[in-house]
Amino acid sequence: MPKSQYVDPVEIRKKGAITFKDIPVNQYDKTIEEEKKNFSTEDLLRIYRDMAIIREFETMMNDIKTMGEYNGVPYNHPGPAHLSIGQEAAAVGQAYLLDIDDFIFGSHRSHGEILAKGLSAINKLPDEELMKIMKDFRDGIILNIVEKRNTSGNVKELAIDFLIYGAMAEIFARETGFQAGLGGSMHAFFTPFGIYPNNAIVGGSADIAVGAALYKKVNRKKGIVIANIGDGALGCGPVWEALCLSAMDQYKKLWEGEYKGGLPFIMNIFNNHYGMGGQTRGETMGYDLLARIGAGVNPEQMHAERIDGYNPLAVIDAIGRKKKLLLKQKDGPVFLDTVTYRYSGHSPSDASSYRSKEEIDTWMEHDPIITFRKQLVDAAVAPDSAFDEIIENARSLVTKTLKLAIDDSVSPRMDLNKDTQAIAKLMFSNQRIEKMEERECEVLMPKEENPQWKRVQKKERFGLDKDGKPVSKNRVYQLRDGLFEAIIDKFYTDPTLVAYGEENRDWGGAFAVYRGLTESLPYQRLFNSPISEGAIVGSAVGYALCGGRPIIELMYADFLGRAGDEVFNQLAKWQAMSAGQLKMPVVLRISVGSKYGAQHSQDWTSLVAHIPGLKCVFPVTPYDAKGLMNSALSGTDPVIFFESQRIYDVGELFHKEGVPEGYYEIPIGEPDIKRDGKDITILTIGATLYRALDAAKILEEKYGLSAEIIDARSIVPFNYEKVIESVKKTGRILLTSDACERGSHLKDMAQTISELAFDYLDAPPVVVGSKNWITPAHELEEFFFPQPEWIIDAIHEKILPLPGHVPTTNFTNQELLRINKLGV
Amino acid sequence: MATPVIMPRQGNSVESCIITEWFVKKGQEVAEGDVLFSYETDKAAFEEESKVSGTVLELFFEEGDDVPVLTNVCVIGEQGEDITPFVPEGAQIDNTEQQEGANASSDSAENQTVKEIEVPDTIEPQHEQIALKTDGEIFISPRARNLAEKIGADIRYADPTGPNQRIIERDIRKLQQEGLLVTPGAKEAYKNLDQSIKGLGLGGRITTSDLNKSVVAESKPVEVASGVKDEVEYEEVKLSNIRKVIARTMHSSLSEMAQLTLNTSFDATEIINLRKKLKANAEKMGLTNITLNDILLYAVSRVLLMHKAINAHFTGETIRYFSNVHMGVAVDTERGLMVPTLFNANKKSLNDIAIETKELAQACQKGTINPDYLQGGTFTVTNLGALGIESFTPVINPPQTAILGVNTTEQRIREVDGTIQSYTAMSLSLTFDHRAVDGAPAARFLKDLTQALENFNVLLAK
Repeated sequence: MPKSQYVDPVEIRKKGAITFKDIPVNQYDKTIEEEKKNFSTEDLLRIYRDMAIIREFETMMNDIKTMGEYNGVPYNHPGPAHLSIGQEAAAVGQAYLLDIDDFIFGSHRSHGEILAKGLSAINKLPDEELMKIMKDFRDGIILNIVEKRNTSGNVKELAIDFLIYGAMAEIFARETGFQAGLGGSMHAFFTPFGIYPNNAIVGGSADIAVGAALYKKVNRKKGIVIANIGDGALGCGPVWEALCLSAMDQYKKLWEGEYKGGLPFIMNIFNNHYGMGGQTRGETMGYDLLARIGAGVNPEQMHAERIDGYNPLAVIDAIGRKKKLLLKQKDGPVFLDTVTYRYSGHSPSDASSYRSKEEIDTWMEHDPIITFRKQLVDAAVAPDSAFDEIIENARSLVTKTLKLAIDDSVSPRMDLNKDTQAIAKLMFSNQRIEKMEERECEVLMPKEENPQWKRVQKKERFGLDKDGKPVSKNRVYQLRDGLFEAIIDKFYTDPTLVAYGEENRDWGGAFAVYRGLTESLPYQRLFNSPISEGAIVGSAVGYALCGGRPIIELMYADFLGRAGDEVFNQLAKWQAMSAGQLKMPVVLRISVGSKYGAQHSQDWTSLVAHIPGLKCVFPVTPYDAKGLMNSALSGTDPVIFFESQRIYDVGELFHKEGVPEGYYEIPIGEPDIKRDGKDITILTIGATLYRALDAAKILEEKYGLSAEIIDARSIVPFNYEKVIESVKKTGRILLTSDACERGSHLKDMAQTISELAFDYLDAPPVVVGSKNWITPAHELEEFFFPQPEWIIDAIHEKILPLPGHVPTTNFTNQELLRINKLGV
Repeated sequence: MATPVIMPRQGNSVESCIITEWFVKKGQEVAEGDVLFSYETDKAAFEEESKVSGTVLELFFEEGDDVPVLTNVCVIGEQGEDITPFVPEGAQIDNTEQQEGANASSDSAENQTVKEIEVPDTIEPQHEQIALKTDGEIFISPRARNLAEKIGADIRYADPTGPNQRIIERDIRKLQQEGLLVTPGAKEAYKNLDQSIKGLGLGGRITTSDLNKSVVAESKPVEVASGVKDEVEYEEVKLSNIRKVIARTMHSSLSEMAQLTLNTSFDATEIINLRKKLKANAEKMGLTNITLNDILLYAVSRVLLMHKAINAHFTGETIRYFSNVHMGVAVDTERGLMVPTLFNANKKSLNDIAIETKELAQACQKGTINPDYLQGGTFTVTNLGALGIESFTPVINPPQTAILGVNTTEQRIREVDGTIQSYTAMSLSLTFDHRAVDGAPAARFLKDLTQALENFNVLLAK
């Protein structure tokens, strides 16, 4: 408990100085002769072979991109190719000691890492296991292709064909590639060999890999996790967040028992000295030597060192030492500055105008393909001719695989004519998995003994008493109690479930949803994170794609921007980009605020709805909150779970039987009729439901109109049937939510309703949203958020003039034109 | 110098004609007077003769093409002459544009009822009109429009109370509540109605019988026994334009009007005798062959002047009463029924009527009738007497309000002063549109007509 960690002013204010240990720089200096006792001739030649295969593979890509042919085979590849020619020794050296339990995550420039890790795994795995992996992977689709053409009878050779083909076909967007062509060059991976997703967003893998390490630690899985990113990524905020999350003190100070200790995580920077056109050392960054960064993160300085990525043996040496440090000493995380150099530009379109030819030429003189070969020849490991043969073999391997990978009859693209829904089917996995793993849940007490759970059980589960009067706030079962019941229940069901955020433990969440969870859960299942929204979401992505289920939290919707890439590019897209190979059972709770002004009060649901691949719900009653949270926590898709701070204390007013004590699910995507009516439909998203109810009362009492109110509950997916049925009956619909009106998802819904029910409409669907302004202070909010009177006025002005009604707000067409013209 | 041949304009109202057959080919020598092609409007067929001799240099259209009038159809000239100046735009237009052209011409045919009628002898149409909004000026929600169609409400009567003067559902409901276009008896039941119904009462009013009518079951195609399925037992012939026009006109006539027929007969002795006399003295008096039908036309043209409602056009909103009689005369032709108009029949002598009617009939039979003569009638007479028909229900030619069917003569007996005597009777069948004319006025017209015919000599003296 942090309470035990006294923040002592005397200590804090004391005079002193911070001291640093030296950060090793290229300390490895063994000769081949010295290493002969650690590496057999075969090992050394294999290291060279792996480098040669990568060089040939990347050369092929370069030739295809720049000349339209390789080794006499013409091909046009319009897609991306960020090549790692020059970086082979670093990749092979890193992979050499890694097992399939050790995961690597990469960048846009990771072809070499995929191949190196794959070749290393192939070398280590027994034949039967290799065959099983190849047979099981996508029902043997790749194995069938390479097996037909490989008659050697050598399983390892077959597996190499498999690896090179799977990666190449993926790069060329073939249905037979690792991810059925949906990932491509920058997103290819192969989890059975421990090769985890590469990432086209610079630094994107950093926090995802931390999440994977978290998964390994919390769920006691073997192996380490390496994030391979470039030096350019060190300028990215989320990378710093990832460093922070990976190096939290609590792992060593507060986590207990076997969970005590640092994350098994290496942040490895393949430092090729350029980030796009900027030279990191000397121009765009200030660290001088990149490894210095580690010293700023924790007292261990992240065990940072610079290693020579142009010597494969130096890298192997470092990985060996660090792996031991992570697994035996549990003293992670580690920071590595692996120096290397790319001969090609950022991409083939980059003319490298920012560096001199002389510099490139000098690096080429150091090229390990030449220098390492020379060292091996000089050390009499093998004659020079043996290396010619290795290179020739690599060339024929790449050539034969290229012919295969570009042959449309063998390697077709996804046929979207035949199956128009092929990609649509992959957007969501839509499974229901109660627990991600079958084992005991680690908890500190039985659920029934949890004091908060016991308190909740005593509450009134329906919001009105026998006389129809509201039950007092202290006695009523509130919306937050519905969330609490669903979440604590899952903590006792799914052993992989973890919750973390900025105030989750002890505090119990800023809105008291987690109050009482601390009593039940050990640290590793419920913890506070740094104020790192990007890394909170990014790590959850990594945690989930390894097989766990996290529930995380952004306290205000306005903070979504801080986690923009993680929510919109990572969380949303990996299921489909992996062709369904990865699941993303992440629940991201986001609270929609009010009272706290412009940066804490905006409803950002529309942004989430716009991005394909995210499910999105916004329950506003205790019954719906519990049922939808149960669904979200039992699914396999990312669910953005919006909550409104206005109504955490609201009681259940609609479900007459009260909120059930037992487990139940409300299907995501089904709206709910909260009030029957016949004259006008009001569709609400979020807390405006209660203002719509007030408006309905006015309509009924003053104007004799009965409004039917439908609570969307879900935003994506959304079943329109109930809404259309209602509109057919009433002929009129008004939509309202707290989102700013311009670009609100309600506009999308209004448009869909117009298409589906045009002939039944007596007026166009009308959207009442918040103003297109900043959210003002609480005292002025009635001028910003939709109010019941606005709803009445909009109906009067645009749908059904109400006899005798005098509007107090301006919903005329002139006003609509005016505010749009001004952009406000 | 090459000479273009244009599609002639056959009458002022004709916008395009269909080429029915080409008699020449490209490259063929033609002499002046050779028939180049035949063509038809929706009412008549024509042939175009070459006005020059030479070689057919190009045909711009194919058989079946609908060609705007005054457009170049082909070019005749010397072999090798440049024809590009004559290539009409229409020859290169694509199908969709042709389609539009075709629609435009058929639209204009349908819209003729509301256009001013052009007749060779100019007449001043006299009609009264009520000002109502036209469709384009009405803003109405889709829901309100659908409801109006469903319950048979006329949206032009709706008072818009929606935003921006839009008619909304409640405005149509109001029409329904007020029982507009509903008979008083049906009003109560109609108010709560929510299903499609068509008023068949007076002026389209919904009556109790309409309310009680069950929806007519859709007819299912007759199952053909499998054994005879493949035998072709019919010949399928595409409808000619004329047939299409007749079909459309007759169907809309019967489906839109409230038609009923009154039958009567009269003593034809006097007109038969007169006809005999006229025939005997024809040469001497310089008269043409005057038939019983001509006599009837004469009588009708005079009696009609006293019965304005029967010499009228009913448009649904207005009735146009005509001060002259433009007599439609039904003519049986090979192409189908044609009804040329004998304009200002009330001003013509019996002999003139006989001559002109004959000319019109012949032009119809030859297919050379000027289309302008195929419209503008204010009343129609159709005669099936020659075919021995004793009584029938002629179908009104819209927007006319009535049509008179003339039947065969027959011998009848009657009692006169206690003795039975035989006489030649002729019967008449008058179909009238009850929307425009009530039964009694129609009957009075027939009574006046039969009296006039029985005393035709007196009428002639008028």
